[in-house]
Amino acid sequence: MSNLSSSKYRGYEADRSKYPEMKNGKAVIDLDSHKYTKIWQGPQHPGVTGNMSVELIVNGDEIVWAKTHVGYLHRAFEKLMERRKYIQCFPLVCRICVPEPDTNEYCVSAAMEDLAGITVPEKAQWLRTLNLEMSRIGSYLMWLGGQAGSLGMGAIAQWTVGMRDFWLDLFEEMTGGRVYHMYMIPGGVRKDLPDGFKERARDLIIRTRRLLSDVENTFISNALVKSRLQGLGIITPEMVDEFGIVGPNARAAGRGYDIRINNPYVKYDELDVKMITSTVGDAYARAQLRYNDLHQSLDLVSEILDRMPEEGAIQAEMPNLVNWKIPPGQTYVKAESTRGEHGFYMVSDGSEKPRRVFARGASYTHAISVLEKLAVNISISDLAGLMVSLHTCPPEIER
Amino acid sequence: MKLKDVLSPLRVWERAAQKPWTIKDPINDRPGADNYRGFHKNDFSKCIGCGTCEEICQNDAIDIVPVEGQETVDGDSGLRPMIDYGRCCWCALCVDVCPTGSLTMSNDYTWIADDPEDYRFVPGADKTKWQDSTVGYTRSPDIQILDYNRVDMLEIKPEDRDKSFIEIVKGYNKEQAIKEAERCIQCGLCTATCPAHMDIPGYIAAIRDDDLDQALRILYETNPMPEICGRICTHKCETACALHNNGDPLAIRWLKRYIADQIPADKYQEILGTAHLVDEQLNRKVAVIGAGPAGVSAAYYLAIMGYKTKIYEALPASGGMARYGIPEYRLPYDQIDKDVEYLKTLGVEIQYNTRIGEDITLEELHREYDAVFAGTGLHLGRSTRVPGSDHSRVYFATDMLREVTLGNEIDVAENIVVIGGGNVAMDITRTLARLQNQKYGKVQVLATCLEAEEVMPADLEEIVEAREENAVIEPAWGPKEIEIKNGKITGLHVSKCLSVFDEDGRFNPRFDEEQKKFFKADMIVESIGQGMDLSYLTEEIKAELKMTPRGRIEVNDKFQSNLKWLFVGGDIIEGPDVIHGIANGYVAARGIDSYLNSK
Amino acid sequence: MEQLIKKIKGMVHLRAYGKQRDDLHFVTVDKAQLEMILAHLKNYEGFTHLAFLQAVDLLEEGKFRLIYMLYNYSTNVNLGVNVLIDRDNAEMNSIHKLWAHGWQYQRELHELFGIDFPDSPRVHESFVLEGWEEMPPMRRDFDTLEYSNRTFYQRPGRSTNDPAEYMKEKIYKNYPAAPVIRRDNE
Ligand SMILES: Cc1cc2nc3c(=O)[nH]c(=O)nc-3n(C[C@H](O)[C@H](O)[C@H](O)COP(=O)(O)OP(=O)(O)OC[C@H]3O[C@@H](n4cnc5c(N)ncnc54)[C@H](O)[C@@H]3O)c2cc1C
Ligand code: SF4
Ligand code: SF4
Repeated sequence: MSNLSSSKYRGYEADRSKYPEMKNGKAVIDLDSHKYTKIWQGPQHPGVTGNMSVELIVNGDEIVWAKTHVGYLHRAFEKLMERRKYIQCFPLVCRICVPEPDTNEYCVSAAMEDLAGITVPEKAQWLRTLNLEMSRIGSYLMWLGGQAGSLGMGAIAQWTVGMRDFWLDLFEEMTGGRVYHMYMIPGGVRKDLPDGFKERARDLIIRTRRLLSDVENTFISNALVKSRLQGLGIITPEMVDEFGIVGPNARAAGRGYDIRINNPYVKYDELDVKMITSTVGDAYARAQLRYNDLHQSLDLVSEILDRMPEEGAIQAEMPNLVNWKIPPGQTYVKAESTRGEHGFYMVSDGSEKPRRVFARGASYTHAISVLEKLAVNISISDLAGLMVSLHTCPPEIER
Repeated sequence: MKLKDVLSPLRVWERAAQKPWTIKDPINDRPGADNYRGFHKNDFSKCIGCGTCEEICQNDAIDIVPVEGQETVDGDSGLRPMIDYGRCCWCALCVDVCPTGSLTMSNDYTWIADDPEDYRFVPGADKTKWQDSTVGYTRSPDIQILDYNRVDMLEIKPEDRDKSFIEIVKGYNKEQAIKEAERCIQCGLCTATCPAHMDIPGYIAAIRDDDLDQALRILYETNPMPEICGRICTHKCETACALHNNGDPLAIRWLKRYIADQIPADKYQEILGTAHLVDEQLNRKVAVIGAGPAGVSAAYYLAIMGYKTKIYEALPASGGMARYGIPEYRLPYDQIDKDVEYLKTLGVEIQYNTRIGEDITLEELHREYDAVFAGTGLHLGRSTRVPGSDHSRVYFATDMLREVTLGNEIDVAENIVVIGGGNVAMDITRTLARLQNQKYGKVQVLATCLEAEEVMPADLEEIVEAREENAVIEPAWGPKEIEIKNGKITGLHVSKCLSVFDEDGRFNPRFDEEQKKFFKADMIVESIGQGMDLSYLTEEIKAELKMTPRGRIEVNDKFQSNLKWLFVGGDIIEGPDVIHGIANGYVAARGIDSYLNSK
Repeated sequence: MEQLIKKIKGMVHLRAYGKQRDDLHFVTVDKAQLEMILAHLKNYEGFTHLAFLQAVDLLEEGKFRLIYMLYNYSTNVNLGVNVLIDRDNAEMNSIHKLWAHGWQYQRELHELFGIDFPDSPRVHESFVLEGWEEMPPMRRDFDTLEYSNRTFYQRPGRSTNDPAEYMKEKIYKNYPAAPVIRRDNE
C-alpha cells in the first residue's frame, strides 16, 4: 500500500480498528484473512474515466488500498514524433486527448515556433485563442456529464454531451473535423472562419447558458449532489505543491494558478480572464469551480468573437515545411487545459525531426499519485465521482 | 441540507415538454460541413504524380501507383495516389501539401462496402459517389506547407551594365542557396525532363546539407560543364518542377552554378577522384571534332574511362557557341575556361586553329584513331533573302558575335535593326547596344520579328532586360525590303504580321500589307537561325553515310552513324542548346566505349 | 533572475545557463549537486512546483539528460534544471522526498529509458508496458519501425513507386548510367 496514504485529509479521524495494521509505514493486508476483497474498477467500467483501471482492496464498502493501472492506450506518440518530420506531428498529438485535443495542437506548434523563433500573426493568434477556448467548453460539458453520470444522473449527462455535440458542429465548420480538429499548424492555423460562423457561435452560447441554468438547478444546487460530493476527495493547500497539482484541482484548494493569467499565451493577455478559486478543496468545490469556469469560457468566447480582427494573415511566412529544420535547443510551452497545466517539452537537435517531445498532462499526477491517495478510506460507490472530480484523463498519462 | 436544494431539481420539469435535439430522420444524410475533411477526391487533369502526398502522409496511407490511361510525360509521372482507408486519419495534410491542388476532400463521410479491399482506392480513378461533390476540405490559399516563393537573385542594375560586358547575374551566396534548396520536395519529376537526366534532387539535397563536394560529384556524373550550364542552360527542368504549378519553380540552374562557383578548379581532381586515371584504355585513341559542349562532354567521359582523347578545334579557343555565340555578360569566358581547363588536367589534348576538312581530313582521323566524335555545331548564318539582304552592311548574328568574342573591331553603326525574335537575336541586340553605348554614348538598336510579343521565342527575361538596356523591340512585323540609297542602307520596310503558322502548324506567315512601317537603319543584322557546315565529310564518306530526310546525319540511340567509327552529336543532331550537346556527348562516349570494347 | 543565477553559481558548479524566454530558463548542474540545488530552489527560492521530470537520450554522447522542470508561482518563472548522467548503467538519486509525485516520473523513466532511481518507491513496477521484453523503448536505439514490422502483419498487396525511377523506366530506360571512372590499379 502506498506509504502516502493517511486519513489526515479526510476531515475526520476514522475508526482505525477495522483497518489493516501498519508496519514500517506499510499496511499489512492479508487477503487470505478474508477480511479484504480485491476488485478492479475498469478498464471496462462505466464509472471509470477513459481506459484506465484502479486496482482496489476493499474492506466492506471501503477502499483501503488503491493502485492505478494504465497502459491500455499507450500509443508511443512521443516516440513516433521522434521519427517524424515536424510538420507531421500535429495529426498525432491531438489524439492525446479526445475531449480537448486542441491544447495539444497548440502546444506542439507553439513549441516548434518558440524553438524556430517564429512569430504567429495576430489574426492566427485570435483564431487559436477561439479554438482553445471552445475546446475548453467542449471538455467541460463532457466533464459535467461525467460528473453527473458518476452520481447516477444520466439525464444530465445526455443534456451536456448533447450540447457538446453542437459545439462540435462549430468545430466541424471551422476546422473540418468534429473530434480531432488538426487546425493549428506550425506558423498559424489552416483556415479562417466560414461565413456566418460568429452568429452561429453567439447563438450557441445563449443556448448553452440556457442549458446551464437547468444544470444549475438539477446538479449544482441539488441536495443529493451536495451530499455526495461535499467532503469527498479533499485536496489541501499543502498537497498542491507536494503532488504538483494544477488546474481546477489546485484552484479549488486555494492556489491561484491559471496559465492563461500567470503565463498568458496566444491572446489571453488581452482578454479579461478572472482567477476563480475556492478554499474548500473537495469534489463539490471543484465542481462548482468548473461550472463557473465554464461560464467564464462562454464569456471569453463571445469576447473573442467581438474582438477578433476580420482581416489578417493566418500563417506566418514559413519555409518549406517538408524540409523544415529547427535550430538546436530545448523549450517548454504550456497552456491551461480544463484539467490544468498542459505542456510540451521539446528538444531539437537541428535536424528535420524533433529529438524529444514530452507531453505533460495534468492527469499524470492527478490520476496516479493523487488518486491513489484520495481513494483510500472512501466508499467504492464514491470512487467514480472522485475520479471524475479529479478530471482524470488516462491518455495524458500514457501518451 | 437546505430545502431549496431539495426542490431545486424539480424546476426543470418543463424540459419534458421540449422538442428533443436528436435528429429523427435516419434515412437522409446529414451532410458534413462545407469545410469537412471527408473522403478524398483527385482531379487527374491537374495531378502530376509527384508523390508529395505519399511523402507527407505520416500514416503511410498513400501508395503512388500507375493508373490506366495516365501517360508518363514531361512533368507528369503518370502515377496517381492510392489511399488506404485502413490507415488514413483524415488529417488532410496530403491536401495541404499537394502542389497542384488536385487532391481535395469531399464532405462525404459514409461509405459501406462488403470487401475491405474496397477501402484502398485511387481517388479520381475509382468511381465514387462523392467524386463530383463541390464542397469539402481544400487547401487554403492563405497557408503554405511548401514554399512557393523563389529566393530573389541579385542582378546588376541596367545603368551599371549597359556599357560593358560585365556578368549580370551575381549568383547565390551560401545562405540564399541553402534557402532556395530547402524549397525542393525531391519528387524528381525534373530529372526526366533534363536532356542529360541529371540527378537534380540529389545535388539540391547536397546543397541543403552543405556538402558541396558531394554536390559536385553528382553534377559531374552526367554533366562536365556545370559553370556553363549553371549560367545559360535553357533549364527545361524548371518547367517540370512541381512547385511551378502553384508558384516559382526551383532555381535549379542557379543552384547548379552555386555549386560550381564555390569550388576552386584545383580541387576538382581530388573531389571527383580523377587524379589517377588509367593511362590508356586498351591503348585506344579517340578523336573529337569541335571543342563545343558536345565535344567537351564526349572527351570528358572518354577521358575518365581511360581513352586517349584529342580534340580538334577550328577556332582559337574552346566552348563552341557557348563562347563564340553567347555574350560574355551572360557567360564570362573564364567560366568556360574553368570547365575546359579541368578537362585538360585529365590528359585530354586540344589542338586549336585546326579545321577538319581543311587542315586535316576526316579520313586521316579515321586512320589514326579508333573512333571519331563530331560535334561541329551550327555556324552558318541564314538569310531572310529579302531584297537588299546581299548588301555588305547586312550581317549574320552568329558571325558578328564570333567577331566580338575574337576581339575584332566591329564597325558599329548609329542605327541598327536586328531581324529576329529568338534568344540569339536578343544576344546580338544587347551586344550591339553595349557597343553603341561605348562608341556613341547612346543606344539606337531595334529588334523586330514576325511573332507577336506573347509568343516571341526569346525568354521573357531577355526581352525585359534588352528593353532595360534601351533597345527597342518591335514584335509582329515581317521584313519586306531593305532600302538602299546611294549604295548605303537607309532602313527596313516591314508589314504587320498577323500569324506565323498556318492551320497545319507549318511556317507560313500571313501579313496585313496595309499596315506598314519603316525602321531607320544604316546596318542590319539577320538572326533567323543557323545552319550546319558538314563540308568536312568527303565525297567517299558521304556516299556511304546515311542521312535523314531533313539532311542530318542519321544516328542510333548511341549517336553512332552507320559508319561504325563515326559518332555525331550536339547541335547538328539535337537541340540546339548546350545541355543537349552535353547529353549527346555523354551518351556517345558510352557508345564509343561499348563499340571499342566489342571490336 | 540574474541574481538567482548568480546565487546558484555561488552554490554549485553551474555548467551551463540559457534563457529561452523571459519566463523560461535552463541551468545545467552536476549530478552530485542536483538534490541540493533542487531542495534549495524549492525551499528558499519559491520553485515549489515540479511540473515534470523527464529524460532525453543523448545516444551519440553516451549520456542521458535529465530535466527537472520547476515553477515559481510568485514570479511565474519556469526553471529547467538539467543534469547529464552516463547512459551505461544509468542511475540517479531519487527526488520522491522532495515531491510526492516524483516517484511516478522515476518509475516511468526506469521503464521507458532504463534509468534506475534506487531509493524511489515502486520504481521497478511496470508503468504502461506490462509484460514488455524489449529494450526500454524510449532509448534512441530502439527501432520502432523494425519492431512493428517484426510484431505486426502488414496489409498484403501494397506496393508503391518512386516517381523519378518510374519516369526513367517509362521515358528514358536506355539512357546509360554514369560511367565508372577507370583509375590506375583498380
Ligand atoms: C547567340 C547564341 C546564344 C545561345 N544561347 C544559349 C543559351 O543561352 N543556352 C543554351 O543552352 N544554348 C545557347 N545557345 C546554343 C548553344 O550555344 C549550342 O547549342 C551549343 O553550343 C551546341 O554545342 P555543340 O557542341 O553541338 O556545337 P558548338 O558549340 O557550335 O561547337 C562546335 C565547335 O566545333 C567547331 N568546329 C566546327 N566545324 C569544325 C571543323 N570542321 N573542324 C574543327 N572544328 C570545327 C566550332 O568551331 C565549334 O567550336 C546559343 C547559341 C547562340 C548562337
Ligand atoms: S501531391 Fe498532388 S499532384 Fe502530387 S501526386 Fe499527390 S495528388 Fe498528385
Ligand atoms: S488525410 Fe492524412 S492520413 Fe489520410 S492520406 Fe492524407 S496525409 Fe495520409
